Amino acid sequence: MSLTSLSVSELCALSRKKEVKAEEIVLSFLNKIQEQDEKISAFLLVLEEKALARAREIDHKKEKGKLAGIPIAIKDNILTRGIRTTCASRILENFIPAYSATVVERLEKEDAVIIGKTNMDEFAMGSSTENSAFFITKNPWDLRRVPGGSSGGSAAAVAAEETPASLGSDTGGSVRQPAAFCGIVGLKPTYSRVSRYGLVAFASSLDQIGPLTRTVEDSALLLQVIAGWDGRDSTLSSQPVPDYLKEMKEGLGSIKVAYLKENVIKAIDPEVKEIYSNTLKRLEEMGAELHEIDFPSWEYALACYYILAPSEASSNLARYDGVRYGFRHSPAESLKEMYLSTRTEGFGPEVKRRILLGTFALSSGYYDAYYLKAAKTRNIICQEFKEAFKEVDFILTPTTPEPAFLIGEKEEPITMYLSDVFTVTANLAGIPAISIPAGLTKQNFPVGLQVMANYFQESLLFKLAFLLEKKVKFKKK
Amino acid sequence: MRQKQKIDIDHICALANLKLSEEGKARLEPQLVKIVEWVNKLEELELDLTQGEVYTPISFPLPLRPDEVQPSISSEDALFNSPETGGKFIKVPKVIEEK
Repeated sequence: MSLTSLSVSELCALSRKKEVKAEEIVLSFLNKIQEQDEKISAFLLVLEEKALARAREIDHKKEKGKLAGIPIAIKDNILTRGIRTTCASRILENFIPAYSATVVERLEKEDAVIIGKTNMDEFAMGSSTENSAFFITKNPWDLRRVPGGSSGGSAAAVAAEETPASLGSDTGGSVRQPAAFCGIVGLKPTYSRVSRYGLVAFASSLDQIGPLTRTVEDSALLLQVIAGWDGRDSTLSSQPVPDYLKEMKEGLGSIKVAYLKENVIKAIDPEVKEIYSNTLKRLEEMGAELHEIDFPSWEYALACYYILAPSEASSNLARYDGVRYGFRHSPAESLKEMYLSTRTEGFGPEVKRRILLGTFALSSGYYDAYYLKAAKTRNIICQEFKEAFKEVDFILTPTTPEPAFLIGEKEEPITMYLSDVFTVTANLAGIPAISIPAGLTKQNFPVGLQVMANYFQESLLFKLAFLLEKKVKFKKK
Repeated sequence: MRQKQKIDIDHICALANLKLSEEGKARLEPQLVKIVEWVNKLEELELDLTQGEVYTPISFPLPLRPDEVQPSISSEDALFNSPETGGKFIKVPKVIEEK
């Protein structure tokens, strides 16, 4: 039995029974990274010495945390004290944070071991990890294909068994879409469920941190550790965090599940559509009541998202000016010249495109027609979800319109943006959503299924995802 | 018929503190126009912008932490990542012009 093929829960069980040491666990994943990450390129930084030293410390502790010795990879837009955090951008190439994100502190408090920092689209802007300023991450299922994005490194590392779990961030689907492309589980929690203290801001009304894991149980386990109020993120809810693992295994009872009308899914890949339909049939066989649901505003969600997210990004990324941190163009004749040259040289093409788009949407004369209109459309989308959840417990969609695409296949920005058609709505409404593996195409590429639930209903999400996971015979990579 | 979307790329670059080469502008401008035309889909929704609420991501009262003094990062840590420092200050090109 190889340790790297085990889930977080299985590794924790072995560790509790003292059948394996933290050092052995960490070493086996480091060896796997050493063997194959040259091909996959999931990691921007591997913390070999630090991780092993930490594992040895944990082995000597008498009272161990619930994730003792479990390696976790962290997306490189989540701050790790003293450990380089770049957002896969030249502008932060040598940035060493002075503090850790709440999520990292909480994992470390439970004795998890941070094994490395993962590659991503620069500042989380992208759906393929091709926008990293450093290198492109490959999909472990087919190295010619993208792992999805923006948390592509986090997803590829889990799928390739280079880590049992990782954290990503999800602004428009950046955890769920790469999870679907890599055949793993990816969760975007309810907005305000998990602290963003220490997450580099992209679009603050949409960003959420979520776990990427190989099983639904591991997703519940990780959310249990990272969720809850910390007094440091002013948007964070103080609602108590339920015992997700316990509630996940309780019976689900009778459930009502909504599926999308044909007009919403007409343009998707036929094999994805077939897997989606088969899952719905299976749910019906399991006793679920299916409802076709009309979402008149669904078709406006992408346009709404691609106004709001760049607008917020253009404001959030104004801080990168070469003064307090990061790259600085030098020498410069004036302060203004320094700002201009630093930002122009430091940001990559997609980041510039989104900053300009957002600046345009917020600029005088265009604000009402773009930003204000999108903000009001968002309210309508949100109301439609609230209405839907009066009728049903879950909404099921494919996670992505197609399986993983080829590297370089989507050069046109809009064709890339269309990858997010099923995922952005959960961010716009702030509801939780999970992507689980639902099947394989004939060419052996994973297809993900997205389950959405009402605000703070993560326990319900896990219950259904856990049941579906057992029903889907899914060959692991 | 709707007029072709126009974007004053120089003005937007100036607002965004970006300085694009002529070649960069020639590449980006048509892409931005295309994206803006694409998001113009929202025009199909007949919204009265003077009515209705703007979405706010939080609909519950925000919890506050107790008003207690807590340590924050040191000035050494805060200065550590700055590209150029002098003593306890960050150095930047001169802002005030000499007469």
